[in-house]
Amino acid sequence: MHLNWSMRQILLAAAPIAIAVFVFGASFGVLAVAARLPAWSVVLMSVLVFAGSAQFAAIGVIAAGGSVLTAIFAGALLNLRFIATGIAVAPSLPGARLLRSLLAQLSIDESYAMSVRAGEPGRPDGRTLLVTGALLYVVWVFGTLIGALLGPVLGDPKRLGLDAAFPAGFVALLWPMLAGRHAVRCAIGGAAVALALAPFTPPGIPLAGAAVVGLWLAR
Amino acid sequence: MAGPLALALVLGLASLSFIMRATGALLPNLPAAVTARTGGLAPALLAALVAIQLTGPNGVIHVDVKVPAVLVAAVLAALRAPFIVCVIAGALVAALLRAVFHL
Repeated sequence: MHLNWSMRQILLAAAPIAIAVFVFGASFGVLAVAARLPAWSVVLMSVLVFAGSAQFAAIGVIAAGGSVLTAIFAGALLNLRFIATGIAVAPSLPGARLLRSLLAQLSIDESYAMSVRAGEPGRPDGRTLLVTGALLYVVWVFGTLIGALLGPVLGDPKRLGLDAAFPAGFVALLWPMLAGRHAVRCAIGGAAVALALAPFTPPGIPLAGAAVVGLWLAR
Repeated sequence: MAGPLALALVLGLASLSFIMRATGALLPNLPAAVTARTGGLAPALLAALVAIQLTGPNGVIHVDVKVPAVLVAAVLAALRAPFIVCVIAGALVAALLRAVFHL
């Protein structure tokens, strides 16, 4: 017999993740403000996008002098994986298609992973996804707000090494993904193609090349 | 960054992200062969972003304080240090090298 997780179980399992998401949100807020985005837009981005690595990538492009279009492109490509997680969770969500597509907005890597853990094989638990997703959403936005307020207090971004925080953060996001052989070759291929294209092409093209390589080497 | 430009960035990324999360619920019958490949995007793009961050204005790898910063962050990530520890360590390495060696 399958027992669904109780609300208490869900919240207990989500608590350490919530702390990590809060710190991630605060660091995103600090770095986004250091990249000279207005604080209100940084918080608005967390409210409307709710995807750490995509937001981090978009801000990283801006901080490195890239255009708004390149930043949107980089962030959106990172979020393409949500099409796959959306298909996986859709049958577990309540309501008709429209409601489900709204509730699916609460899926991020962490809430999706929790729903898979709480569910049966091949059927993630919808309630765990929604409860965890809602909790992490609040924490993510609040963390961003704190970071955006704290950022200007810290001082000159370059003297603090905040420009190096972006590649350091990308490495930290990348590393846990390198679990399988496929992921490793996608990463190596993506970096190699980006470096090969960078001297000859405008910003954005190296990332597009890396995306094509990632799709191609994924299986 | 000017307000309207920042707003364009936020709304552009938000609308595309919304569509991607909604797609699974609206079109649950997308072939698995298509969706399985999206798993390769994140590692390829993040690795490319690391690489691009280390290039100079001419698009060639530019050796400065960011390189040791990334190496330290990578070692910490391999040791399963939390995200924030890797980020702060990377920034600290860059800040210290700049302060001490005026790089």
